Amino acid sequence: MYSDLNQRLKADVRLEEGLQACMNCGICTAICPAAEFYEYDPRSIAITVQSGNEEKIAALLEGDTIWYCGQCMSCKTRCPRNNCPGLIISVLRKLSQETGAFIKSRMGRQQYLIVKTIGANILRFGYCVHPNSLVPATHPEQGPVWRWIYENMHEVYAAVDANLDGDGPGAMRKISPTDLDELHQIFEVSGGLKLYQTIEYFSQLKAVEMGLTDTNGKADMEKYTQYLLNE
Amino acid sequence: MNNKHVAVIGGGIAGMEAASVLARQGLKVTLIEKQANTGGKLNDWDHLFPDFSSPDELVSSLATKTKDSGVNTVYNTEISRIERAGKRFELRANQDVRFYADAVLVASGFNVFDATIKEEYGYGLFGNVITSVDFEKRMKKHGQLRTIQGTAPKRVAIIHCVGSRDAKVGNTYCSKVCCITGIKQAIEISEMLPDCEVFCFYMDLRLYGSTFDSLYLQAQKRHKIQFIRGRLSEAAERADKSIQIKAEDTLQGRPLRMTVDMVILLVGMEPGASTSQLIQKNQMTVDENGFLKSTNMHCARNQSTQEGIFMAGTAICPMAVNETIENARSAATEIIHFFENHRP
Repeated sequence: MYSDLNQRLKADVRLEEGLQACMNCGICTAICPAAEFYEYDPRSIAITVQSGNEEKIAALLEGDTIWYCGQCMSCKTRCPRNNCPGLIISVLRKLSQETGAFIKSRMGRQQYLIVKTIGANILRFGYCVHPNSLVPATHPEQGPVWRWIYENMHEVYAAVDANLDGDGPGAMRKISPTDLDELHQIFEVSGGLKLYQTIEYFSQLKAVEMGLTDTNGKADMEKYTQYLLNE
Repeated sequence: MNNKHVAVIGGGIAGMEAASVLARQGLKVTLIEKQANTGGKLNDWDHLFPDFSSPDELVSSLATKTKDSGVNTVYNTEISRIERAGKRFELRANQDVRFYADAVLVASGFNVFDATIKEEYGYGLFGNVITSVDFEKRMKKHGQLRTIQGTAPKRVAIIHCVGSRDAKVGNTYCSKVCCITGIKQAIEISEMLPDCEVFCFYMDLRLYGSTFDSLYLQAQKRHKIQFIRGRLSEAAERADKSIQIKAEDTLQGRPLRMTVDMVILLVGMEPGASTSQLIQKNQMTVDENGFLKSTNMHCARNQSTQEGIFMAGTAICPMAVNETIENARSAATEIIHFFENHRP
Protein backbone atom coordinates (compact mmCIF):
# COMPACT_ATOMS: atom_id res chain seq x y z
CA MET A 1 0.00 0.00 0.00
CA TYR A 2 2.79 2.44 0.87
CA SER A 3 6.07 2.79 -0.89
CA ASP A 4 9.48 4.17 0.00
CA LEU A 5 8.52 4.91 3.58
CA ASN A 6 12.13 5.03 4.72
CA GLN A 7 13.07 7.38 1.95
CA ARG A 8 10.11 9.61 2.65
CA LEU A 9 10.92 9.73 6.36
CA LYS A 10 14.54 10.56 5.65
CA ALA A 11 13.55 13.34 3.27
CA ASP A 12 12.18 15.25 6.26
CA VAL A 13 14.98 17.27 7.85
CA ARG A 14 13.42 16.77 11.27
CA LEU A 15 14.37 13.11 11.18
CA GLU A 16 18.01 13.97 10.76
CA GLU A 17 17.73 16.20 13.79
CA GLY A 18 15.59 13.76 15.75
CA LEU A 19 17.34 10.44 15.24
CA GLN A 20 21.09 10.04 15.36
CA ALA A 21 21.18 6.52 16.76
CA CYS A 22 19.15 5.20 19.66
CA MET A 23 20.78 2.99 22.29
CA ASN A 24 17.52 1.95 23.92
CA CYS A 25 18.19 3.48 27.33
CA GLY A 26 14.57 4.49 27.97
CA ILE A 27 15.22 8.00 29.32
CA CYS A 28 12.70 9.44 26.84
CA THR A 29 9.93 7.12 27.99
CA ALA A 30 10.85 7.77 31.62
CA ILE A 31 10.46 11.53 31.19
CA CYS A 32 7.48 11.36 28.80
CA PRO A 33 4.20 12.65 30.34
CA ALA A 34 2.15 10.77 27.71
CA ALA A 35 3.83 7.47 28.55
CA GLU A 36 2.47 7.76 32.07
CA PHE A 37 -1.10 7.77 30.81
CA TYR A 38 -1.18 5.78 27.59
CA GLU A 39 0.18 2.52 26.24
CA TYR A 40 2.86 4.60 24.67
CA ASP A 41 6.62 4.15 24.51
CA PRO A 42 8.62 6.75 22.55
CA ARG A 43 11.74 4.60 22.86
CA SER A 44 10.19 1.76 20.90
CA ILE A 45 8.98 4.19 18.22
CA ALA A 46 12.53 5.52 17.83
CA ILE A 47 13.84 1.96 17.60
CA THR A 48 11.22 1.00 14.99
CA VAL A 49 12.13 3.95 12.78
CA GLN A 50 15.82 3.19 13.30
CA SER A 51 15.26 -0.42 12.21
CA GLY A 52 13.91 0.75 8.86
CA ASN A 53 11.37 -2.09 8.86
CA GLU A 54 8.73 -0.75 6.46
CA GLU A 55 6.04 -3.10 7.68
CA LYS A 56 6.46 -1.92 11.25
CA ILE A 57 6.71 1.71 10.16
CA ALA A 58 3.45 1.29 8.24
CA ALA A 59 1.87 -0.12 11.39
CA LEU A 60 2.96 3.01 13.26
CA LEU A 61 1.44 5.25 10.57
CA GLU A 62 -1.85 3.37 10.81
CA GLY A 63 -1.91 3.06 14.57
CA ASP A 64 -2.98 5.15 17.55
CA THR A 65 0.40 5.47 19.27
CA ILE A 66 1.99 8.28 17.25
CA TRP A 67 -0.94 10.52 18.17
CA TYR A 68 -0.41 10.18 21.95
CA CYS A 69 2.65 12.45 21.94
CA GLY A 70 1.93 15.93 23.29
CA GLN A 71 4.95 17.40 21.48
CA CYS A 72 6.29 18.79 24.77
CA MET A 73 9.81 17.78 23.67
CA SER A 74 10.88 16.77 27.17
CA CYS A 75 12.59 13.83 25.47
CA LYS A 76 14.88 16.23 23.63
CA THR A 77 16.22 17.67 26.87
CA ARG A 78 17.30 14.31 28.25
CA CYS A 79 18.37 11.95 25.47
CA PRO A 80 22.04 10.99 26.03
CA ARG A 81 22.47 10.55 22.28
CA ASN A 82 20.91 13.92 21.44
CA ASN A 83 17.97 12.27 19.70
CA CYS A 84 14.49 13.72 19.90
CA PRO A 85 11.67 11.16 19.70
CA GLY A 86 9.19 14.06 19.62
CA LEU A 87 10.60 15.12 16.27
CA ILE A 88 10.53 11.54 14.96
CA ILE A 89 6.84 11.52 15.89
CA SER A 90 6.30 14.79 13.99
CA VAL A 91 7.76 13.20 10.88
CA LEU A 92 5.68 10.04 11.26
CA ARG A 93 2.53 12.09 11.78
CA LYS A 94 3.08 14.09 8.64
CA LEU A 95 3.69 10.95 6.64
CA SER A 96 0.57 9.39 8.14
CA GLN A 97 -1.41 12.44 7.03
CA GLU A 98 0.10 12.52 3.57
CA THR A 99 -0.44 8.82 2.91
CA GLY A 100 -3.91 8.74 4.43
CA ALA A 101 -2.78 6.09 6.90
CA PHE A 102 -4.25 8.19 9.70
CA ILE A 103 -7.84 7.22 8.86
CA LYS A 104 -7.08 3.66 9.98
CA SER A 105 -6.89 4.50 13.66
CA ARG A 106 -9.27 6.19 16.08
CA MET A 107 -6.65 8.68 17.27
CA GLY A 108 -5.58 9.33 13.68
CA ARG A 109 -9.11 10.05 12.49
CA GLN A 110 -9.29 12.87 15.06
CA GLN A 111 -7.06 14.83 12.66
CA TYR A 112 -10.21 15.83 10.82
CA LEU A 113 -11.69 17.42 13.93
CA ILE A 114 -8.45 19.25 14.62
CA VAL A 115 -8.33 20.68 11.09
CA LYS A 116 -11.93 21.81 11.45
CA THR A 117 -11.38 23.45 14.85
CA ILE A 118 -7.85 24.58 15.59
CA GLY A 119 -6.92 24.47 11.91
CA ALA A 120 -9.84 26.68 10.95
CA ASN A 121 -9.47 28.99 13.98
CA ILE A 122 -5.90 29.93 13.18
CA LEU A 123 -6.88 31.09 9.71
CA ARG A 124 -10.16 32.70 10.75
CA PHE A 125 -9.16 34.48 13.98
CA GLY A 126 -5.37 34.25 14.01
CA TYR A 127 -5.68 32.21 17.22
CA CYS A 128 -5.57 28.40 17.51
CA VAL A 129 -8.06 28.61 20.32
CA HIS A 130 -10.37 31.58 20.49
CA PRO A 131 -12.96 32.05 23.27
CA ASN A 132 -15.71 32.22 20.66
CA SER A 133 -14.71 28.81 19.31
CA LEU A 134 -14.88 27.02 22.66
CA VAL A 135 -18.64 26.50 22.62
CA PRO A 136 -19.74 24.83 25.87
CA ALA A 137 -22.15 22.51 24.02
CA THR A 138 -19.31 20.91 22.05
CA HIS A 139 -16.75 21.25 24.85
CA PRO A 140 -18.46 19.78 27.93
CA GLU A 141 -15.02 18.96 29.34
CA GLN A 142 -14.56 22.69 30.01
CA GLY A 143 -17.11 22.50 32.81
CA PRO A 144 -19.50 25.02 34.39
CA VAL A 145 -16.89 27.70 35.09
CA TRP A 146 -16.07 27.94 31.41
CA ARG A 147 -19.80 28.02 30.60
CA TRP A 148 -20.17 31.04 32.89
CA ILE A 149 -17.13 32.76 31.35
CA TYR A 150 -18.47 32.03 27.88
CA GLU A 151 -21.82 33.53 28.71
CA ASN A 152 -20.24 36.65 30.25
CA MET A 153 -17.30 36.76 27.86
CA HIS A 154 -16.95 40.49 27.28
CA GLU A 155 -17.29 41.47 30.94
CA VAL A 156 -14.82 38.78 32.08
CA TYR A 157 -12.15 39.64 29.50
CA ALA A 158 -12.54 43.35 30.21
CA ALA A 159 -12.10 42.65 33.92
CA VAL A 160 -8.64 41.14 33.25
CA ASP A 161 -7.68 44.04 30.98
CA ALA A 162 -7.86 41.97 27.80
CA ASN A 163 -8.93 43.60 24.57
CA LEU A 164 -11.21 40.85 23.28
CA ASP A 165 -11.89 41.31 19.55
CA GLY A 166 -10.96 44.96 19.87
CA ASP A 167 -8.72 47.06 17.67
CA GLY A 168 -5.27 48.10 18.85
CA PRO A 169 -3.00 46.27 21.31
CA GLY A 170 -3.84 43.90 24.15
CA ALA A 171 -4.48 40.24 24.84
CA MET A 172 -7.02 38.52 22.58
CA ARG A 173 -7.15 41.59 20.34
CA LYS A 174 -8.58 41.30 16.89
CA ILE A 175 -5.99 40.22 14.36
CA SER A 176 -5.98 42.58 11.41
CA PRO A 177 -7.05 41.35 7.93
CA THR A 178 -3.55 42.12 6.63
CA ASP A 179 -1.98 39.82 9.22
CA LEU A 180 -4.60 37.14 8.62
CA ASP A 181 -3.86 37.35 4.93
CA GLU A 182 -0.16 36.94 5.61
CA LEU A 183 -0.86 33.95 7.83
CA HIS A 184 -2.94 32.44 5.05
CA GLN A 185 -0.06 32.89 2.63
CA ILE A 186 2.34 31.23 5.05
CA PHE A 187 0.02 28.22 5.21
CA GLU A 188 -0.20 28.18 1.45
CA VAL A 189 3.52 28.43 0.77
CA SER A 190 4.57 26.04 3.55
CA GLY A 191 2.16 23.31 2.45
CA GLY A 192 -0.09 23.66 5.49
CA LEU A 193 -3.23 24.28 3.45
CA LYS A 194 -2.46 21.34 1.21
CA LEU A 195 -2.14 19.18 4.28
CA TYR A 196 -5.58 20.39 5.47
CA GLN A 197 -6.99 19.37 2.10
CA THR A 198 -5.27 16.00 2.19
CA ILE A 199 -6.71 15.28 5.63
CA GLU A 200 -10.18 16.30 4.44
CA TYR A 201 -9.82 14.21 1.30
CA PHE A 202 -8.93 11.00 3.13
CA SER A 203 -11.55 11.71 5.81
CA GLN A 204 -14.20 11.95 3.09
CA LEU A 205 -13.05 8.61 1.69
CA LYS A 206 -13.41 7.14 5.15
CA ALA A 207 -16.90 8.62 5.55
CA VAL A 208 -17.99 7.03 2.27
CA GLU A 209 -16.40 3.74 3.23
CA MET A 210 -18.41 3.80 6.44
CA GLY A 211 -21.61 4.63 4.58
CA LEU A 212 -21.85 8.09 6.13
CA THR A 213 -23.19 9.64 2.94
CA ASP A 214 -25.88 12.02 1.75
CA THR A 215 -28.69 11.15 -0.67
CA ASN A 216 -26.29 11.53 -3.61
CA GLY A 217 -23.88 8.99 -2.18
CA LYS A 218 -21.34 11.66 -1.30
CA ALA A 219 -19.55 11.90 2.04
CA ASP A 220 -21.70 13.53 4.72
CA MET A 221 -19.12 15.25 6.87
CA GLU A 222 -21.70 16.33 9.44
CA LYS A 223 -22.45 12.69 10.13
CA TYR A 224 -18.75 11.86 10.06
CA THR A 225 -18.04 14.61 12.60
CA GLN A 226 -20.75 13.25 14.88
CA TYR A 227 -19.25 9.80 14.47
CA LEU A 228 -15.78 11.05 15.42
CA LEU A 229 -17.09 12.94 18.44
CA ASN A 230 -18.66 9.76 19.76
CA GLU A 231 -16.03 7.31 18.68
CA MET B 1 71.51 4.61 30.53
CA ASN B 2 72.31 4.81 34.23
CA ASN B 3 72.94 8.53 34.21
CA LYS B 4 69.57 9.26 32.61
CA HIS B 5 66.99 11.11 34.59
CA VAL B 6 63.22 10.56 34.38
CA ALA B 7 60.68 12.95 35.85
CA VAL B 8 57.37 11.31 36.72
CA ILE B 9 54.44 13.70 37.07
CA GLY B 10 51.81 12.40 39.47
CA GLY B 11 52.24 10.31 42.60
CA GLY B 12 49.18 8.14 42.21
CA ILE B 13 49.51 4.43 41.76
CA ALA B 14 50.61 4.72 38.11
CA GLY B 15 53.36 7.19 38.90
CA MET B 16 54.57 5.25 41.95
CA GLU B 17 54.71 1.93 40.16
CA ALA B 18 56.44 3.31 37.04
CA ALA B 19 58.89 5.30 39.17
CA SER B 20 59.93 2.29 41.22
CA VAL B 21 60.34 0.06 38.15
CA LEU B 22 62.53 2.69 36.46
CA ALA B 23 64.61 3.28 39.58
CA ARG B 24 65.21 -0.44 40.00
CA GLN B 25 66.60 -0.42 36.46
CA GLY B 26 69.19 2.08 37.66
CA LEU B 27 67.65 5.29 36.33
CA LYS B 28 67.50 8.47 38.36
CA VAL B 29 63.84 9.12 39.02
CA THR B 30 62.04 12.11 40.50
CA LEU B 31 58.41 11.53 41.38
CA ILE B 32 56.53 14.83 41.55
CA GLU B 33 53.28 14.89 43.51
CA LYS B 34 51.05 17.96 43.82
CA GLN B 35 49.62 16.91 47.17
CA ALA B 36 51.25 16.30 50.53
CA ASN B 37 51.17 12.52 50.11
CA THR B 38 51.27 9.92 47.39
CA GLY B 39 48.48 7.50 46.56
CA GLY B 40 46.19 9.94 44.77
CA LYS B 41 42.49 9.21 44.65
CA LEU B 42 42.96 5.74 46.14
CA ASN B 43 43.53 7.39 49.52
CA ASP B 44 39.80 8.12 49.64
CA TRP B 45 38.73 4.67 48.52
CA ASP B 46 37.47 2.08 50.98
CA HIS B 47 37.55 -1.22 49.10
CA LEU B 48 38.61 -2.32 45.64
CA PHE B 49 36.70 -4.46 43.17
CA PRO B 50 36.54 -7.34 42.52
CA ASP B 51 38.23 -8.79 45.63
CA PHE B 52 37.14 -6.24 48.26
CA SER B 53 40.78 -5.69 49.19
CA SER B 54 41.99 -2.54 50.90
CA PRO B 55 43.64 0.12 48.75
CA ASP B 56 45.61 1.25 51.82
CA GLU B 57 47.73 -1.89 51.69
CA LEU B 58 48.35 -1.39 48.01
CA VAL B 59 49.26 2.27 48.41
CA SER B 60 51.60 1.62 51.32
CA SER B 61 53.33 -1.26 49.54
CA LEU B 62 53.82 0.97 46.48
CA ALA B 63 55.18 3.73 48.73
CA THR B 64 57.67 1.28 50.29
CA LYS B 65 58.74 0.06 46.83
CA THR B 66 59.18 3.62 45.64
CA LYS B 67 61.28 4.55 48.63
CA ASP B 68 63.38 1.38 48.64
CA SER B 69 64.20 1.64 44.96
CA GLY B 70 65.69 5.09 45.49
CA VAL B 71 63.04 7.29 43.87
CA ASN B 72 63.29 10.91 44.92
CA THR B 73 59.71 11.91 45.76
CA VAL B 74 58.82 15.60 45.85
CA TYR B 75 55.54 16.67 47.45
CA ASN B 76 53.29 19.73 47.19
CA THR B 77 54.65 20.45 43.75
CA GLU B 78 52.52 20.88 40.69
CA ILE B 79 54.10 20.93 37.25
CA SER B 80 52.59 23.53 34.97
CA ARG B 81 54.89 23.33 31.99
CA ILE B 82 57.30 20.99 30.27
CA GLU B 83 59.83 22.63 27.96
CA ARG B 84 62.54 21.22 25.77
CA ALA B 85 65.99 22.38 26.84
CA GLY B 86 68.38 21.01 24.20
CA LYS B 87 68.05 17.25 24.37
CA ARG B 88 66.55 17.44 27.81
CA PHE B 89 63.35 18.69 29.35
CA GLU B 90 62.85 21.48 31.81
CA LEU B 91 59.81 21.12 34.04
CA ARG B 92 58.42 24.16 35.74
CA ALA B 93 56.46 23.98 38.92
CA ASN B 94 54.89 26.37 41.37
CA GLN B 95 57.14 28.83 43.23
CA ASP B 96 59.56 28.78 40.33
CA VAL B 97 60.84 25.31 41.13
CA ARG B 98 62.45 23.61 38.13
CA PHE B 99 63.37 20.05 37.34
CA TYR B 100 65.50 18.69 34.50
CA ALA B 101 64.99 15.30 32.92
CA ASP B 102 65.88 13.21 29.86
CA ALA B 103 62.37 11.80 29.65
CA VAL B 104 59.07 12.72 31.20
CA LEU B 105 56.29 10.41 32.28
CA VAL B 106 52.88 12.03 32.65
CA ALA B 107 50.84 10.06 35.17
CA SER B 108 48.53 12.87 36.15
CA GLY B 109 45.39 10.75 36.44
CA PHE B 110 41.74 11.58 35.95
CA ASN B 111 38.99 13.80 37.28
CA VAL B 112 35.80 12.44 38.72
CA PHE B 113 32.73 13.59 36.77
CA ASP B 114 31.07 16.50 38.54
CA ALA B 115 27.59 15.12 39.19
CA THR B 116 26.08 18.59 39.76
CA ILE B 117 26.26 19.01 35.97
CA LYS B 118 23.60 16.30 35.71
CA GLU B 119 21.23 18.65 37.51
CA GLU B 120 18.16 16.47 37.01
CA TYR B 121 19.67 13.85 39.34
CA GLY B 122 19.69 16.35 42.20
CA TYR B 123 23.26 15.88 43.39
CA GLY B 124 24.19 18.82 45.60
CA LEU B 125 20.49 19.67 45.92
CA PHE B 126 19.09 16.63 47.71
CA GLY B 127 20.94 15.29 50.73
CA ASN B 128 20.19 11.67 49.97
CA VAL B 129 21.70 11.72 46.51
CA ILE B 130 25.39 10.85 46.75
CA THR B 131 28.08 9.65 44.35
CA SER B 132 30.03 6.41 44.31
CA VAL B 133 33.04 8.43 45.49
CA ASP B 134 31.05 9.80 48.45
CA PHE B 135 30.04 6.24 49.27
CA GLU B 136 33.67 5.13 49.50
CA LYS B 137 34.64 8.17 51.56
CA ARG B 138 31.77 7.61 53.99
CA MET B 139 32.49 3.93 54.33
CA LYS B 140 36.14 4.64 54.96
CA LYS B 141 35.40 7.33 57.54
CA HIS B 142 32.33 5.97 59.31
CA GLY B 143 32.13 2.34 58.24
CA GLN B 144 28.43 2.73 57.63
CA LEU B 145 25.85 4.18 55.27
CA ARG B 146 23.23 6.53 56.66
CA THR B 147 20.65 8.83 55.13
CA ILE B 148 20.79 12.55 55.82
CA GLN B 149 18.15 11.92 58.51
CA GLY B 150 20.58 9.56 60.23
CA THR B 151 18.67 6.37 59.51
CA ALA B 152 19.83 3.18 57.84
CA PRO B 153 18.42 3.19 54.28
CA LYS B 154 15.85 0.52 53.47
CA ARG B 155 15.94 1.08 49.73
CA VAL B 156 18.89 2.25 47.69
CA ALA B 157 19.09 2.89 43.94
CA ILE B 158 22.47 2.74 42.25
CA ILE B 159 22.56 4.66 38.98
CA HIS B 160 24.96 3.58 36.26
CA CYS B 161 26.51 5.75 33.52
CA VAL B 162 26.43 9.12 35.31
CA GLY B 163 28.61 11.38 33.20
CA SER B 164 29.48 8.53 30.84
CA ARG B 165 27.98 7.60 27.46
CA ASP B 166 26.06 10.82 27.58
CA ALA B 167 26.27 13.38 24.78
CA LYS B 168 24.40 15.87 26.95
CA VAL B 169 27.39 16.22 29.26
CA GLY B 170 29.93 15.88 26.45
CA ASN B 171 31.22 12.44 27.50
CA THR B 172 30.20 9.86 24.96
CA TYR B 173 32.71 7.22 26.08
CA CYS B 174 32.27 4.44 28.63
CA SER B 175 34.18 4.89 31.89
CA LYS B 176 34.39 1.13 32.11
CA VAL B 177 34.96 0.68 35.85
CA CYS B 178 31.59 2.01 37.09
CA CYS B 179 29.49 -1.10 36.34
CA ILE B 180 31.61 -3.34 38.50
CA THR B 181 31.98 -0.60 41.13
CA GLY B 182 28.18 -0.44 41.34
CA ILE B 183 27.93 -4.19 41.82
CA LYS B 184 30.64 -4.11 44.46
CA GLN B 185 28.93 -1.29 46.35
CA ALA B 186 25.53 -3.01 46.03
CA ILE B 187 26.98 -6.14 47.64
CA GLU B 188 28.60 -4.09 50.39
CA ILE B 189 25.30 -2.37 51.19
CA SER B 190 23.47 -5.66 51.20
CA GLU B 191 26.04 -7.26 53.51
CA MET B 192 25.98 -4.29 55.85
CA LEU B 193 22.18 -3.85 55.79
CA PRO B 194 20.61 -7.22 54.96
CA ASP B 195 17.08 -5.75 55.01
CA CYS B 196 17.94 -3.04 52.53
CA GLU B 197 16.65 -3.47 48.97
CA VAL B 198 19.20 -2.46 46.37
CA PHE B 199 18.37 -1.64 42.75
CA CYS B 200 20.88 -1.06 39.97
CA PHE B 201 19.63 1.00 37.03
CA TYR B 202 21.82 0.17 34.07
CA MET B 203 21.83 0.43 30.30
CA ASP B 204 24.39 -2.28 29.54
CA LEU B 205 26.34 -4.09 32.22
CA ARG B 206 29.88 -3.89 30.95
CA LEU B 207 31.55 -6.49 33.13
CA TYR B 208 34.73 -6.90 31.17
CA GLY B 209 36.95 -8.43 33.84
CA SER B 210 37.35 -12.18 34.00
CA THR B 211 35.84 -12.40 37.48
CA PHE B 212 33.32 -9.57 37.21
CA ASP B 213 30.46 -11.67 35.93
CA SER B 214 30.71 -14.03 38.85
CA LEU B 215 30.33 -11.02 41.15
CA TYR B 216 27.21 -10.07 39.18
CA LEU B 217 25.87 -13.57 39.64
CA GLN B 218 26.64 -13.41 43.36
CA ALA B 219 24.90 -10.03 43.61
CA GLN B 220 21.73 -11.46 42.12
CA LYS B 221 21.77 -14.87 43.71
CA ARG B 222 23.04 -14.29 47.20
CA HIS B 223 22.23 -10.64 47.75
CA LYS B 224 19.01 -10.33 45.75
CA ILE B 225 20.20 -7.11 44.13
CA GLN B 226 17.67 -6.13 41.49
CA PHE B 227 18.89 -5.00 38.10
CA ILE B 228 16.58 -2.79 36.09
CA ARG B 229 17.47 -2.02 32.51
CA GLY B 230 16.80 1.68 32.09
CA ARG B 231 18.59 4.95 32.60
CA LEU B 232 17.35 7.43 35.15
CA SER B 233 15.55 10.42 33.70
CA GLU B 234 15.26 12.40 36.90
CA ALA B 235 15.19 12.38 40.68
CA ALA B 236 13.05 14.51 42.99
CA GLU B 237 13.14 14.95 46.75
CA ARG B 238 9.96 14.27 48.67
CA ALA B 239 8.86 16.01 51.85
CA ASP B 240 10.34 13.22 53.98
CA LYS B 241 13.71 13.58 52.17
CA SER B 242 13.29 10.30 50.35
CA ILE B 243 14.00 10.42 46.63
CA GLN B 244 11.54 9.68 43.87
CA ILE B 245 13.18 8.42 40.71
CA LYS B 246 11.86 7.90 37.21
CA ALA B 247 13.17 5.48 34.61
CA GLU B 248 11.82 3.13 32.03
CA ASP B 249 12.00 -0.58 32.67
CA THR B 250 13.00 -1.11 29.05
CA LEU B 251 12.75 -4.88 29.23
CA GLN B 252 9.09 -4.53 30.10
CA GLY B 253 8.60 -1.39 28.03
CA ARG B 254 7.00 0.47 30.92
CA PRO B 255 7.79 3.72 32.65
CA LEU B 256 8.61 3.23 36.29
CA ARG B 257 8.46 5.45 39.34
CA MET B 258 10.04 4.42 42.58
CA THR B 259 10.78 5.98 45.93
CA VAL B 260 14.09 5.16 47.57
CA ASP B 261 15.88 6.36 50.69
CA MET B 262 19.17 6.97 48.94
CA VAL B 263 20.51 7.28 45.42
CA ILE B 264 24.13 6.51 44.56
CA LEU B 265 25.39 7.96 41.28
CA LEU B 266 28.16 5.95 39.63
CA VAL B 267 30.24 8.87 38.41
CA GLY B 268 32.59 8.33 35.50
CA MET B 269 36.16 9.33 34.78
CA GLU B 270 37.15 12.45 32.88
CA PRO B 271 40.49 13.74 31.62
CA GLY B 272 42.38 15.17 34.58
CA ALA B 273 42.61 18.89 35.21
CA SER B 274 46.39 18.67 35.71
CA THR B 275 46.66 16.79 32.45
CA SER B 276 44.68 19.46 30.61
CA GLN B 277 47.09 22.11 31.83
CA LEU B 278 50.07 20.16 30.51
CA ILE B 279 48.37 19.51 27.20
CA GLN B 280 47.64 23.15 26.53
CA LYS B 281 51.19 24.24 27.09
CA ASN B 282 52.98 21.36 25.41
CA GLN B 283 51.09 20.64 22.22
CA MET B 284 50.41 17.12 23.41
CA THR B 285 47.61 15.64 21.40
CA VAL B 286 44.44 14.32 22.96
CA ASP B 287 42.08 11.68 21.65
CA GLU B 288 38.40 12.20 20.84
CA ASN B 289 37.54 11.98 24.53
CA GLY B 290 40.14 14.47 25.71
CA PHE B 291 42.53 11.91 27.20
CA LEU B 292 46.20 11.83 26.14
CA LYS B 293 46.64 10.32 22.73
CA SER B 294 49.06 7.49 22.11
CA THR B 295 51.11 7.32 18.93
CA ASN B 296 49.79 3.79 18.47
CA MET B 297 47.04 2.41 20.62
CA HIS B 298 48.17 -1.19 20.20
CA CYS B 299 51.94 -1.19 20.42
CA ALA B 300 52.86 2.26 21.75
CA ARG B 301 50.13 2.93 24.25
CA ASN B 302 52.42 4.91 26.54
CA GLN B 303 54.07 7.11 23.94
CA SER B 304 52.66 10.59 23.64
CA THR B 305 52.77 12.51 20.39
CA GLN B 306 55.80 14.41 21.78
CA GLU B 307 59.02 12.45 21.62
CA GLY B 308 60.47 11.80 25.04
CA ILE B 309 57.20 12.45 26.82
CA PHE B 310 55.41 9.30 27.92
CA MET B 311 52.23 8.68 29.81
CA ALA B 312 50.76 6.11 32.13
CA GLY B 313 47.50 5.24 33.83
CA THR B 314 44.20 7.06 33.69
CA ALA B 315 45.68 10.07 31.91
CA ILE B 316 45.36 7.78 28.84
CA CYS B 317 41.86 6.45 29.41
CA PRO B 318 39.65 5.14 32.19
CA MET B 319 41.18 2.04 33.71
CA ALA B 320 40.97 -0.12 36.81
CA VAL B 321 43.63 -0.34 39.52
CA ASN B 322 45.20 -3.56 38.24
CA GLU B 323 45.29 -2.24 34.68
CA THR B 324 46.81 1.02 35.87
CA ILE B 325 49.67 -0.83 37.51
CA GLU B 326 50.23 -3.00 34.44
CA ASN B 327 50.09 0.10 32.30
CA ALA B 328 52.66 1.84 34.49
CA ARG B 329 55.04 -1.10 34.04
CA SER B 330 54.50 -0.95 30.31
CA ALA B 331 55.32 2.77 30.38
CA ALA B 332 58.53 2.05 32.26
CA THR B 333 59.48 -0.52 29.62
CA GLU B 334 58.85 1.95 26.81
CA ILE B 335 61.01 4.58 28.53
CA ILE B 336 63.83 2.07 28.93
CA HIS B 337 63.57 1.17 25.23
CA PHE B 338 63.58 4.84 24.39
CA PHE B 339 66.91 5.34 26.12
CA GLU B 340 68.34 2.16 24.60
CA ASN B 341 67.31 3.07 21.06
CA HIS B 342 67.52 6.83 20.85
CA ARG B 343 69.94 8.06 23.49
CA PRO B 344 73.05 5.92 23.44
